[in-house]
Amino acid sequence: MKSEQNQENTKKFGMVIDLDVCTGCGSCMVACMAENNVPFRKDESDKLKSITWMRVYKLTNGKPYPETDICYLPRPCQHCEGHEGHSPCVSVCPATATDYDMQTGIVSQIYTRCFGCRYCMAACPYHARYFNWYDPVWPKGMEKYLNPDVSVRMRGVVEKCSLCIHRYQAAKNKAFMEGKTEIEEGDYQTACTQACPAGAITFGDLNNPSHAVYKLKQQPHAFRLLERLGANPKIYYVSSREWVRRAGDNYLKNEGPAKIG
Amino acid sequence: MKIDRRSFLSLGIGAAAGTALSPLPWKLMDDVSIWTQNWPWTPVPAAGESTYVNSVCTLCPGSCGITVRKVDDRGVKIEGMKGHPVNQGGICMLGLAGLQLLYAPDRIKTPLKRSGKRGDGNWISITWDQAISEVAGKLKELRANGQAHTVAGITGSGPNTVSRLFKRLLTAFGSPNFFTTPSMDSSYRLALQMMNGAPPDAITPGFDLENADFILSFGSGLLDGWGSPVHMFRTNTAWRKTQARVIQIEPRLSRTAAKADRWIAITPGSEAALALGIAHVLISESLYRKEFVDNYTSGFEGVVNATGELQKGFKQHVLEKFSPKTVSELTGLDPAAIILLAREFAKAKAPIALFGKGQGKQPGSMDEALSIHALNALVGVINQKGGIYALPAPDYPGWPAIPPDPIADSGVKQPRIDGASSDAFSRLNQLPSAVLSGKPYPLNALLVMEANPLYTMPDSKSVQEAFDKIPFVVSFSSFMDETARNADLILPNHVYLERHEDAPLPEGFSRPVISLSKAVFKPLYKTQHVGDTLILLAKGLGSSIAEALSWKDFDTCLKQAMGDKMDTLQKTGYWTDPNAVFPDGKMTFATPSGKFEFASSAFCPGFTPVKIEGDATYPLVLIPCDTMRLASGDTANPPFDTKIVEETILLHQASLIEINPKTALSQGLSENDRVLLQTPRGQANVLVHLEEGIMPGVIALPRGLGHTAYDDYIAGKGVNLNRLMGPVADPLSGLDAAWGIKAKLSKA
Amino acid sequence: MSNSDDKTQAVSEKTVETSDRPGGSSKGIIVLCFFIGLAASLAFGWGVFPKLLYSRKQQPIDFNHSLHAGVVSNGCESCHFLRDDGAYSGAPKLAQCIDCHQDVQGNSPEEAKFVDQYVKKGIEVPWLVYARQPACVFFSHAAHIKAAKMDCVTCHGKIGESEHLKVYEQNRISGYSRDIEGASLINMLGFKKHTWDRMKMDDCSECHQKQKAVMGSVQTQKEGCFVCHK
Repeated sequence: MKSEQNQENTKKFGMVIDLDVCTGCGSCMVACMAENNVPFRKDESDKLKSITWMRVYKLTNGKPYPETDICYLPRPCQHCEGHEGHSPCVSVCPATATDYDMQTGIVSQIYTRCFGCRYCMAACPYHARYFNWYDPVWPKGMEKYLNPDVSVRMRGVVEKCSLCIHRYQAAKNKAFMEGKTEIEEGDYQTACTQACPAGAITFGDLNNPSHAVYKLKQQPHAFRLLERLGANPKIYYVSSREWVRRAGDNYLKNEGPAKIG
Repeated sequence: MKIDRRSFLSLGIGAAAGTALSPLPWKLMDDVSIWTQNWPWTPVPAAGESTYVNSVCTLCPGSCGITVRKVDDRGVKIEGMKGHPVNQGGICMLGLAGLQLLYAPDRIKTPLKRSGKRGDGNWISITWDQAISEVAGKLKELRANGQAHTVAGITGSGPNTVSRLFKRLLTAFGSPNFFTTPSMDSSYRLALQMMNGAPPDAITPGFDLENADFILSFGSGLLDGWGSPVHMFRTNTAWRKTQARVIQIEPRLSRTAAKADRWIAITPGSEAALALGIAHVLISESLYRKEFVDNYTSGFEGVVNATGELQKGFKQHVLEKFSPKTVSELTGLDPAAIILLAREFAKAKAPIALFGKGQGKQPGSMDEALSIHALNALVGVINQKGGIYALPAPDYPGWPAIPPDPIADSGVKQPRIDGASSDAFSRLNQLPSAVLSGKPYPLNALLVMEANPLYTMPDSKSVQEAFDKIPFVVSFSSFMDETARNADLILPNHVYLERHEDAPLPEGFSRPVISLSKAVFKPLYKTQHVGDTLILLAKGLGSSIAEALSWKDFDTCLKQAMGDKMDTLQKTGYWTDPNAVFPDGKMTFATPSGKFEFASSAFCPGFTPVKIEGDATYPLVLIPCDTMRLASGDTANPPFDTKIVEETILLHQASLIEINPKTALSQGLSENDRVLLQTPRGQANVLVHLEEGIMPGVIALPRGLGHTAYDDYIAGKGVNLNRLMGPVADPLSGLDAAWGIKAKLSKA
Repeated sequence: MSNSDDKTQAVSEKTVETSDRPGGSSKGIIVLCFFIGLAASLAFGWGVFPKLLYSRKQQPIDFNHSLHAGVVSNGCESCHFLRDDGAYSGAPKLAQCIDCHQDVQGNSPEEAKFVDQYVKKGIEVPWLVYARQPACVFFSHAAHIKAAKMDCVTCHGKIGESEHLKVYEQNRISGYSRDIEGASLINMLGFKKHTWDRMKMDDCSECHQKQKAVMGSVQTQKEGCFVCHK
């Protein structure tokens, strides 16, 4: 049995998001909230307190009318690998509540372990982590739609995108039933990928040459957010517009041409 | 033995030591820490068996196939249905949040009867029997007094079986006043009727957008909810692969404009002028498709009419009045840009021009619809691949004729209260003024189904006044919306996920698709399918009306209505005719001339601008804008969707207006300033958001906010644009053609 | 503060003055008191507290596993099966029972109770699940049974041979079942003979470390958190 498990390939799940195709509609955000039991309050317009594992940012080129241009950028947790799994948040967590899994490349967050110090939030360069300032309360009756595959988070802990790990768990379960040890590319897709009406998000194993993401991430215009920080994230973006690629890495105005993409 | 203080302390120390050596403190500490992470009030969803049920989403006219994931009896997630012809597995944010509507706390759980003043929100629960007999009793009384025609019905549903049944009930009862909710679809159908000779029952325009390669969108929110939203998103992605180009013409950098290949900002309200300016270039540079224009159209060249007068043709009309220079003045666009645009449009293989601003929920100006449709004719894409055409109503087996009845016959012969000639183009926007004036006759009862006119109709104030004047209002709403709140009786419908019914046609699609909405859930409350309610009402009314709606229940009625399509519908969830070809490429037109009509004695596309309301004391132009993240129709935005509304649109409980920084500077305003926004129709407190992507002098306010009913998750957020804007009747269609209103801002 | 300290000192001096007993006897009492306190708290902490900590609940029906195991064809999986999607079905639902128990079959009063109170009324039996993991845990029966080919007995013991259901003990504070936390105090401390003696995270981890060669976690060099958490 031990040898059988050894053959399990090491995976590196990640995404390639095509910003030329993304329309910024926000379906990914809602799909994520519906899938992952993300709570809501009566007023969610203070975005500092609003929990959105997946958040679509609006970038502008800063030019005056009518030269203005807008690009929408969906931002899930970037699942940084850092150097050998020492991603910014994992390195600072004093409670071992967040961890990097070399087997899947997913940064995990265990809510029952987290004690809410928010050190990881300070460390995350992508604002991908959210703190539960309030008890999650659903209006009477609405708790019925909660997904049993995802833990409901309690007040006082940090949460973030898990790349829908429960779907990976479910896909593996199904594979076991069929006597398989490996899952297919289509068996495990995140809720946002599945929902995106424009088909802008591609999800898969970045290590697996037969997965679409493997090739897509090597496109000439592919880049990662804040690449130069060295967080080594696993979410790739593609944009044909140079100003978007520069904005993705905080290039200064007078800096030379983008070295990425 | 006396226990002194030292002994007592010693006992305590011993106890402390013993306790420390026992599991008590450690176990307690562990358990309490576990408890703090599992606050008993944090819900733990119950596990169970997962099942998936296919149905159709009827929250908008898009009619996407959906797959509902259930865990035992609970609905847990709504996803796009794989393989459905409309959305192919995709889904939008409104469809995704559907379970928040099913499980919404503000659902109406039993039939309700008003107690106390209207609109005060005091209700008593009544039984269904009582509810039906109350409504039937009131209607019977009106009918007996010869006032059958003073009853009106409004539906917000598309042309589905329930709507047909509703109309049948009104007709059998003796009322001509059946209202549908007008939208761009109405204007499109009218344009197709006038120019293509499409029959009035052609249910919607068809667009072969996938095969178009140059999309000239006159403000259509292709990525903000126009047509069938998910289908549009998919098409937009496909366009990138086929390298089709999208040109978005609107004063504001909307989501669609941002994703388009080019954004062309023009003066709001001048769209028709630009379309005709482009036509000018096409004609003067001979870039139009002569083969089509010469052989299959009439009215392009001038004709001598019956009285011997020469009637100007479209060509002469355009050449005389819409030179690039003139159009440049009207639109604010450089003449060179107009010429360039026209050339590009003409040279494209499959160009198409689109009409319908934003989500297309407003009918808009017929001038604009006809001018834009004329552009399509000039490039010959009528009934052609990549073009536009009229989709016929699906071939439903007919219902038996309504049994003749003298009261009904005289009732339906009365003129419609809105002045429309038939219900095919009913003018809901004319209803409030007709009710207020009491002309041609006062309205005595109103039945509202799947619509929320008190929220969605422009000039909320006069709509409210009109409602106050109607003595008897019945709502079939599932939710306590603005209209239900102002009703006398509420006979609650199931929510869409509990209903078994048909969804006949996706808007903005290429072919007719009928989808079947299944009762995915057993009714949660004592609600009733509105189809069943109508049948019971007919029974209550008795005589010929009961006979006209003699079905046992709505399911039987639906089965009969769908005929042989029902089997396929039940098996696959949707029906589409595999043999029908759309577009059919046929060059036969059922117009008087038998050709496509550019102009006729009845009309000529021109530019008689729809006048904007407001005088010079209002220096700015307020335009409505639609965003995909806000549902602005009769479906209120569910909490998830309001959560993702940007803080540049809604901040705390206030709406933000978009204003160009230059305009703001001239008004002395800066970001997030609180201002009073005034229009001739009303005023509201809003916040300022500076946005480079909007034309100076224009301010924009999104639709879909400012609900006053429902619950705290929906109500009290921002401003309802309809409070600030009034309707402007289009001279040709009589429908609302307002595209903006003059406005002013002052620091609050 | 200093005020109260002075007062204490004064009082204690007074005590010494008024004490007329010899020092030795006083010490004895003090020591005795210490041991009384120690013994009492130890007894409470080890004996009474663990009993107080758990509420004891009887199962709604005293189910006889042994009897049923003899009748069904597919062992445990006849009733506790895996669904096609790999999810574990848990305690059986009425639908599975009514094939045989539409009416009372034998003369067991428990069966009669089951038929009368649940089957006839169509109410699901609210079984108390001894081995239910907390909400933050994803435990895959499929992974253990199908992929790792383990027996039910390995983790659950010979519950299939029991004739009666034991009392369900639930921690009043954490809400966990006693079977998760440890059947006895010794088990709770981590000393255990059988898998079913305790089912806490360390127990899972221990076995996973033995059985699997590659460990994903960067922080702990053990199994990745999301293998068993959700």
